[in-house]
Order: sequence, then C-alpha cells, then structure tokens
Amino acid sequence: MKKTIIVACVMAFLGGIFSLFMSGLWIAAVLPFIVTVSMQVKGRQGFGLGFLGIALLWLVLILLKDVPNHHILSTRMAGLLSLPNAALFILVNVFLGGLIGGLSGWSGAVMNKAFRKS
Amino acid sequence: MRKLIGVLPIVSTAVLVALLSKPIGGLPALGKLLDPVTGCWASAESVSKNYNHKLKLDGLKGDVTVKFDERLVPHIAANNDYDLYYTQGYIHAYFRLWQMDLQTRAAAGRVSEVLGDKALKFDRTQRRKGMVYGAEQSLKAMEADPRSKQMMDAYTAGVNAYINTLNYKRYPLEYKLAGFEPEAWTNLKSALLLKYMADDLTGSTDDIALTVLRDALSPEAFVALYPERLQGVNTVIPRDTIIQTPTLSTPTAPADSIAFAHLKATDFETSEEGKGSNNWALSGSRTKSGKPILCNDPHLGLNLPSLWYEVQMTAPGVNVYGVSLPGAPGVIIGFNENISWGFTNNYRDVKDFYLIKPATANTYWFAGKEHGYTNRVEKISIKGKPDYYDTVRYTIHGPVIYDQTFHGPGGLNKPLAVTWMAHRPSNEVLALYLLNRSNQYDEYVKAIHYFLCPAQNMLYADKHGEIALWGQGQFINKWKGQGRYVMNGADSSTLWGDNIPVAENPHTRNPRQGYIASANQTVTDTTYPYWYNGTFHEFRAWRINDVLRNTKAATVEDMFALQNDVYSVLAANVLPVMLQYVSPSAISDKERNYMELLNNWDYKLTAESKAATVFQLWWTNMYNTFWAKLYTQSPDPLRPTPERTMQLLKEGSPYLGNIKDAVIASLRNSMDSLDKLKKADRLQWYRAKNTSVRHLTKLAPFSFTNLKMGGWGNTVNATKTDHGPSWRMVVQMGDEVEAYGVYPGGQSGNVGSKYYATFLDKWVKGEYYRLNFYTAKTKPAAKYTWTINPKNK
Repeated sequence: MKKTIIVACVMAFLGGIFSLFMSGLWIAAVLPFIVTVSMQVKGRQGFGLGFLGIALLWLVLILLKDVPNHHILSTRMAGLLSLPNAALFILVNVFLGGLIGGLSGWSGAVMNKAFRKS
Repeated sequence: MRKLIGVLPIVSTAVLVALLSKPIGGLPALGKLLDPVTGCWASAESVSKNYNHKLKLDGLKGDVTVKFDERLVPHIAANNDYDLYYTQGYIHAYFRLWQMDLQTRAAAGRVSEVLGDKALKFDRTQRRKGMVYGAEQSLKAMEADPRSKQMMDAYTAGVNAYINTLNYKRYPLEYKLAGFEPEAWTNLKSALLLKYMADDLTGSTDDIALTVLRDALSPEAFVALYPERLQGVNTVIPRDTIIQTPTLSTPTAPADSIAFAHLKATDFETSEEGKGSNNWALSGSRTKSGKPILCNDPHLGLNLPSLWYEVQMTAPGVNVYGVSLPGAPGVIIGFNENISWGFTNNYRDVKDFYLIKPATANTYWFAGKEHGYTNRVEKISIKGKPDYYDTVRYTIHGPVIYDQTFHGPGGLNKPLAVTWMAHRPSNEVLALYLLNRSNQYDEYVKAIHYFLCPAQNMLYADKHGEIALWGQGQFINKWKGQGRYVMNGADSSTLWGDNIPVAENPHTRNPRQGYIASANQTVTDTTYPYWYNGTFHEFRAWRINDVLRNTKAATVEDMFALQNDVYSVLAANVLPVMLQYVSPSAISDKERNYMELLNNWDYKLTAESKAATVFQLWWTNMYNTFWAKLYTQSPDPLRPTPERTMQLLKEGSPYLGNIKDAVIASLRNSMDSLDKLKKADRLQWYRAKNTSVRHLTKLAPFSFTNLKMGGWGNTVNATKTDHGPSWRMVVQMGDEVEAYGVYPGGQSGNVGSKYYATFLDKWVKGEYYRLNFYTAKTKPAAKYTWTINPKNK
C-alpha cells in the first residue's frame, strides 16, 4: 500500500513534467501503462495505481489553475454541467482522469500477467 | 486466449479515450474539454495575471508600445498608420477572437458549418438577403482607396499574426465547447461585420405588413392608424434650421395601380416599442462650464462578450479614444483632443421590396421585356451533413429573398426581391479613418460623407464650442410613397432613382435652441424638400427635449442623470386617461388593490417600482386589445405605433372601438399575470422585466440575469430585457477633454478572466468611469505594458 502511494506520487511527478508538452488526456492514457509494465505490477493493483497517480496529477494541475483564478472558471463550468459548485466539478473532473489512468494501469497489469505466464 | 484477454483493457482504454475526444450528440468532446492541461482549464486566468509582454511580430514596420490601464483599456502608440491598425487587429484577436469569428460567420450565413443544420434557415436567410454580396461590393470600394485599403490590410495582418500563435490549448473556451477552430481573417470579414451592423440597424422594415393593411383597411382608417408622419413630434433637426434649396426635384409618382403590388398571405418583421439610441449635445450656453457636452448611448443587443471594445489609438496625425467593434479597424464612437462624436440610428427606410413577375422558369418581366436572372449559387456547409446548395436569383432590383423554395416568415410564397442600400458599394472604413483624425467641423463633415449605410444621426461637439448633427447616409430621391409598400417589380417607374447628394442630407449646426437631441425620432419636419419614410420612435425624444429645454447650467452629472432617466412619457400621458374610464363600482377588490399601487405614482419606471409593473402590464394588454381586431383583416398585422395609439386614446378615437370596455377588460386580463408575479415575489419592475446580459451562446452560467435596473423602451434609459444602452458616453470638450463612459461587459472575452464582465456592476448602477485619455500633457500611469518590435529587424 505504502509502495503504491509512493509509485503513484512518482507517476504524478513524471506526469507533471510531461504536461509541459503533452495533453492531460494522453498522459492519463499512456503513463500508467508504461509505469505498470515497466514495474511489473500485477492484477487489480494496476488499476489502483493508475487511478491514484493520474487523479493526483489532475488534481494538482487543476488546483494550480483554479486557485490563482479564484474559481471564476470552475464555478462557470460547474454551472454548465449543472453541478452545484466548483468543488464538485473539480471532483468529477479528477475522477474522470483517475478512471482513464486506472484503465491504463490495469491494461499494463493484465499485459504483464498474460505475457509472463505463457 | 489469455493474450486476447490481456488486450481487452487496452482496447477499453482506447475506446474510452476515443469517446471522450469526440463530441457526442449535442455534447462537446468531454475528455478534451476537461483535460487539465489543454482543456477548459487553460482558460482559467490568474486574477493577478501579469499582462506585461515583449512581442516580436512579423510584418510590423516599426516599434509599438501599448499601455494598459487598470481597466485593461489599451492605449496604442505607433509610429505609422499601418502599425496602428495592425496592433489594433492583434489586440482585438487577443481579447475577443471567438466573438469576431462567430459574428462574421453569422453575417456571412456560415453558422451551420460550426453548429449543424439547426442554423440552416438562419444561414439561408443571410445568403438570400445578399449579406456577402453587399460586403463584396463595399470591399471593392474600401480597397479602391489607399487609406482604407492599408487600414484593412494592416488590421487583417494583425489579427492573423495573433491567430498564427495559437494552438488548441490557447483557443478561447467557446471553440472547445462548440468543437471548431479559428480560421484566417480576411478583409472581407471586416466588411461583413460592418454589413452585420447595417443589417441590425436598417434590416427590418414594415413594407410588407403595410402593403397588406393598405388593401385591408379603408383609406381613412389607414391614414389615421399609420400616419406617414406623426404630428407633435420633436424632430432631430430643429424647425428653425435653414434647409438649402434642393438640387433635385421630387420625381412624379406613377399611378398607384402601376406602382404597388398587392399581397394577401404574408408576414413581416415586427417592430418593437422604443428600439434605438439616444444622443444629444449641449452648447456652452447651456452648460455650467461654458463648454459643450456631448452624450451618446447607442442601444443594441446586450451580449457578452460585449459588442464594444474600448481603445485609445495614437500615431502621427491621430490620437483618438472611444469604442471599437472587434472585427473592424478604427474607433466607431468617441473623441479626440478637438472633437467628439456619437451615433444614433437614423431609421429612414433604405430597404424596399419588389414583387417579381416570373415569365419562364429562368426569366422575369421588367419594363415589358423578359430578363434573365443572375444566379448566385450559395454553398452552405453543414457540420456532420452534406453541403446544401441554395440558388439565389438576382434581378435588376436585387436578390429574390423569398419565393416558393424559401417562404417569407408568414408563409409568403410570392417572389419578392429586395433593393437595399447595404448592397451598394460604400466605404465606411474611410469615413472612420477620416473621422478619427478630424479636428474641426469641416473635416468632420468631409469624413462622415463617406458613411453611407447604415444611416446614422451623427452628433458632433468640438473644443471651439460648436455643436452639430447630420442625418447622414446615402438616400434616394424618391417619389412620394416610393418603397413604403411592396412595389411592382415589372415596371421601371418603381426603380430607385438618383442619389440625394449627401451635402443635402438633413443637418443642423449651432441651432438657436442651444442643444441638439436625437433618439431615433422623425428626422425633419415637412419643410425638408425630399420625401422619405421610416420607422421612427418618439417617446425618448419628447422626454430629452423636455429636459434639455429647461436645462441652463448643465454638468456632466446632470447628463449622467438624463442617460439614466426612467420617466415614462407614455405613462404620464395614458395612465390618467385610463384611470378616468375605471369607475370604482366596475372593479373587484383585488383589482382595486393593484390599482392602489398606481396612486401618486410619479410615472418613473424605477427598478423597485411595483406601480411600473402594474402599468406596463395593463398598458400592454390594452394595446393588444385595441388592435386585436386587425387580426381579422391580416394574418399577422403591424399594429399602429404606441405613440399613435397614445394620441388616439387621448382623442377618444372611434378607431379604438369601445375604449371603456377595453380598459376594464385589459385590467382584468392583467390580474393573472400580476398574481403570478406577486406569488413569485417578482412584482418589482426589475424582477418582472428581467434585464439580462447574456453570453452569445446563451449559456446561463456565462450570463447575468435579473439585473436591478429600471427603464424600458419608452424611457430615456431604454434598458429592456436583452436590449439597452450598449455604451454610455459623456464628453465635455475644452482645452482638456473630460470624458466618462461605461459599457455592460469587460475588456476580455474570456469567461475565465476577471476582466470578463468587470464593468457590469457600474453600468447596472448607472455609474461611469472617468476615461484615461493620454495626451502630450497627461499620461496617467499604466498598469501593464506591451513592447512590440518587428520580427525581422
């Protein structure tokens, strides 16, 4: 568990560097896969790791924008999605990133399993 | 098999990402939109964003400095005209690109390209009106003069210099929401934007409705209900102003049977009560300072990003401040060190309809001969659908706007062609170029004579103490009645004749009364030698004249008060008459309760007034009741103006039917609405009318509603539901210009910026900003600076 958190943090850190030249969507789709494959993560752990790493990355990236913006944009976007407030909008947004990251991490883990046993 | 299962999560990840990257149904591509790096978050601008920039731009000739004040108004200082307009284009695009793009697409009838086939009818209307055709005609004139050509070329280059720096991440948010991309700017787009304004200001006419009613009503009733000129008005041009002898004589009108067409099943564009703008100027004899004061508040649709963008532009030979239209070069309304000017719409009819008499499928009759149509095939691209082709047939009169393949609003299926001043070549860009540089009256007159459409009441005041106004535009020397109704397109006598020389347009300079006021009212009295008709509005003009006539030592504060004045001339005139017809025994207790709100009412439509709500509802109901019978004579008739209705009511005219019954019935009919409002706690006038400033997409979270403002179309402060004073300006001329202004919006078009709607609060409260006008003498401190150098040097 502790190891998962540390790896997730490293993944988020790497993602932060990638975000300088890549879109958040691509990072979420590819980075957890690379991490789980290269670290030989197996099974459900892959999903959790990917979810955690990307959710953390997206949360930090969003807060870096949202806090200096005094929630002007997030409040308006929340209204657009019929959500009651900016915090919930951010939560939904972060969850979406986590979900993609989780699927990507899970893909890597299942690959590991499939190729090792054959 | 295991390997296959191993691939499954990869596939599902790929499918999810792909799904999130594509718009589905009406939804934008959610994954791309919510991407924390390149999605909507890229538009979240820090509230302490440092706007200082050092830029190197391709194509610039010399160095340019832009100082932004604390309201983010740019003060551009360039060394030559080219760089001045280049920088204006760059800045417009930087702050307002999406708006410029959408508005010019709308003008050109290209909205379906980005929004899909729900906009097809709108696009076809734009094409059939000949919007692009008109813009092309004007562009020829604009590019024929080296000054306006350079101005437009430079502006276009500046806009494109900014667009070329963009990638998806930096697109304005609306592009990400609607899923389209900015496209390269062209001079045609600027021309289109000016036609968009011309369409907004001269596009609607009552010609078709009047054609039906003229046949349906008795001649006496028609004249009584739709007088060509209303009596008792305060004209724009004061009566005692000398009008020179006309150089053209009025043509003889052809016989009615030849001149006009007859329509039965038809519809028309409705006219709204009190649409328009105000401007007025006081000469020094009526001001406290002894210096002239010029005031202008053009009323237009209230949208975000605002139609206007404030700017100061300085280069050798020019130092001008005012509001510009994102998408067009120059300053539209404003002032320089010597003169100030403002516009209101002139409303003379410059758009006429002709009934086309087809001969064969490809020809029509004109002057006893068959003529072929000139076809213009309009290709309308539709997002997600095959292209749509619409063939617009051009006649000697202009494009056939309605026919069997494209019915008029009420299902009109006869071919009508439109002759419209906006189709003729004109160089308004040059007019603005010269106007921005004018230093005295003669230069101003020379400048505005290039401004042909949309015709405007162009008000003037200068530092030498002069005030003036021109009802400026290109007008036709018409025979009496020409173009008031749909004309017979087969006869040559109905063709538009000679242009009236612009020097003979109605004008006044330093009139004896010491002030000039225009608020879209009738332009001249009948001593003006040329015949014209139009859609004029009188309520605001009556009030402004009443106030200014009694103004002696006006200050700018008095002018603020007048721009925010909510006294209703309509209410003051009709309510006492309405109340006379109400006998206490005829009404119920509930009705009496509402009536009591009207006791001692001062006829002011203030934000909190409940009396205002009761009056407006009652009046509207009564107005509708009076004219309901017209519906038996025409499918969707044009109702007599509120001004005329007011006069008929005061006269007790039989044309209104049984007035007492109508007054009581309409009071009764208002009860339901009033009860509903009361229940919802919306009886206060501002809650009942719900003034809103909406984002162009109408998306509620980007819009502001229920603004606490009084006024209506029949008061000087003509703030209606989505229409109102789009720029309030008061300028006192003198050795030093003292200028104030405010518009309902902010300098940035970015919904994620704190500058998005910064000025709205002040505008709602009727307050003003002191405008920072940089001159050689005064240079207020700048908050941010852009230093721009040419790239290749």
